[in-house]
Amino acid sequence: MSRRMKTEYGVFAVVLAVLFVLPLTGAASDNAMRIAFNIALYAVFAQMWNLMCGYAGLLSLGQQMFIGVSGYATAVVCTSYGMPFVLGLLVSGVVSALLALFLSVLLLRMRGLYFAIATWIVSEMIKILFTGWKLVNYAGGMTIRVTPYPTLSQQFMLILALAAASFLLVQAMLRSKIGLGLAAMRDDPDAAAGLGVNIFKMKTLCFTVCGFVTGIGGSIAYLNRLSVFPNGAFAIDWTIAIVFAVIIGGTSTATGPIVGAFVYVLLFNFLSRYAGYSNIILGVIAIAVIVVAPKGIMGTLQNRFKFELFSSTRPSLD
Amino acid sequence: METILQFKNVYAGYGRVQVLADLSFEVKTGEVFGVIGPNGCGKTTMFNALLGLITPSRGEIRFGGADITRKSPDERCRMGIGRTYQVPRPFEHMTVFENVLLAAVYGGRHSEKSGYPVAEAALRRTGLSGKRNLPSGKLTLLDRKRLEIARALGTEPKLLLLDEVAAGLTESEVHDVMALVESLKQDGQTIIWIEHVIETMVKSTDTLMCMSTGTQLLVGEPAAVMDSKEVEEVYLGVEDEADVC
Repeated sequence: MSRRMKTEYGVFAVVLAVLFVLPLTGAASDNAMRIAFNIALYAVFAQMWNLMCGYAGLLSLGQQMFIGVSGYATAVVCTSYGMPFVLGLLVSGVVSALLALFLSVLLLRMRGLYFAIATWIVSEMIKILFTGWKLVNYAGGMTIRVTPYPTLSQQFMLILALAAASFLLVQAMLRSKIGLGLAAMRDDPDAAAGLGVNIFKMKTLCFTVCGFVTGIGGSIAYLNRLSVFPNGAFAIDWTIAIVFAVIIGGTSTATGPIVGAFVYVLLFNFLSRYAGYSNIILGVIAIAVIVVAPKGIMGTLQNRFKFELFSSTRPSLD
Repeated sequence: METILQFKNVYAGYGRVQVLADLSFEVKTGEVFGVIGPNGCGKTTMFNALLGLITPSRGEIRFGGADITRKSPDERCRMGIGRTYQVPRPFEHMTVFENVLLAAVYGGRHSEKSGYPVAEAALRRTGLSGKRNLPSGKLTLLDRKRLEIARALGTEPKLLLLDEVAAGLTESEVHDVMALVESLKQDGQTIIWIEHVIETMVKSTDTLMCMSTGTQLLVGEPAAVMDSKEVEEVYLGVEDEADVC
């Protein structure tokens, strides 16, 4: 490990430790904790969307399918069967991963916008399926009963741990053989295939990892929300928020999703007093950023000041 | 010498347009096999069929004793078919070194660690060592051509396909590239080479195949192929006897 990397991961560990201890001090209000919870939650979702779109070149508009399915999986496991939350969490991850794996066979032959539209349509189809399914109480939704119910601080710690894990997971992938293949695939998939990269396998891997982690995140999100309804669970709004966060933060950058989640959640909270206009304002901001700084906050800063945080560029031997 | 590649009565094309018609030839291990022919004769389609970019409708392609007619491009690369693109296609956001490392890791089935020396060797070979940490998007055309060869070498190919490596280069640059190919030949690298510069093809190849209308017109010793009446005809057309007198 280079000195530079040691410093970066050192700072990462310190920041993480401080955030973990924060709720224990009791210094943060409930409202502050709620905001912190949401930032970490969106950091997880954004990290996974960035893996898909920023690194694997898969523009997904169907992240809500993983979140929704997980909300329901958690409700069925914990409420219907009275199992502990850990089990609901794991089942959510596995079910989402299997869903992604199954969809890979169907959707990964499509490229670009066709894939994007297909993921959205599949999400809508799943919503309709859940609305007409007796096991999940049709359109009436389900409550999530977990005993003992974790405090907000505990929930925050849980989602913070997942956010950190998802960041480290993506970093580990980029630093492994997979990262090389992804980078090549993003630049020129045909040339990458000509040099031995199995494109389908790479995409399936990313899609499945994304399903798994987004699913676990969705489970924790619904632990916090306590009830799940088809319309909310499978709403495209989830993906819009995630895409907003990644674009603002910086696509294809290591820290962009975290920065973007931070900006999105704070902005959303601030704009909640302008109900009805908030989405319009967010949309205008997103367009402005795309026009002025298409690489997002982190991408623009890195280009402007010639540095790259958590760079996975391979140094050659001298 | 052992046969490494075999086309057996291959028919292939795009949709309903059939380009290759009953194409058969063999390449022996260690030889430089040149392919020439006028525009539209099917050279590139032959390459596409060999690389798995199109699937023949009839016939068989055998490589190293295995039937590869229906294998995917990435599988063929891992089996040992390395290629260069006529118009270079570097991964522009990756460094020169990473481009070649990728080839060694995926095509050459190395771990990243064992791929390092392979990539370094391919860069030295092609004279790119000094530019290894540059983003490959910043290279000149000559260096991009070199990178194409370096990447193909990174996959440690049993068979190297060169697709007009000299196209678009100045005369002295062509000379550089030719010297590189010559040194690969000295090392016993099996090469299939498409090129329009007939002079270099006659000099540098062991066997020359002239294609015409999707099939092999003549295969043999380069000078003999070039001197043949048939090859003259496909390139220059049939002379009208009446006009000569």
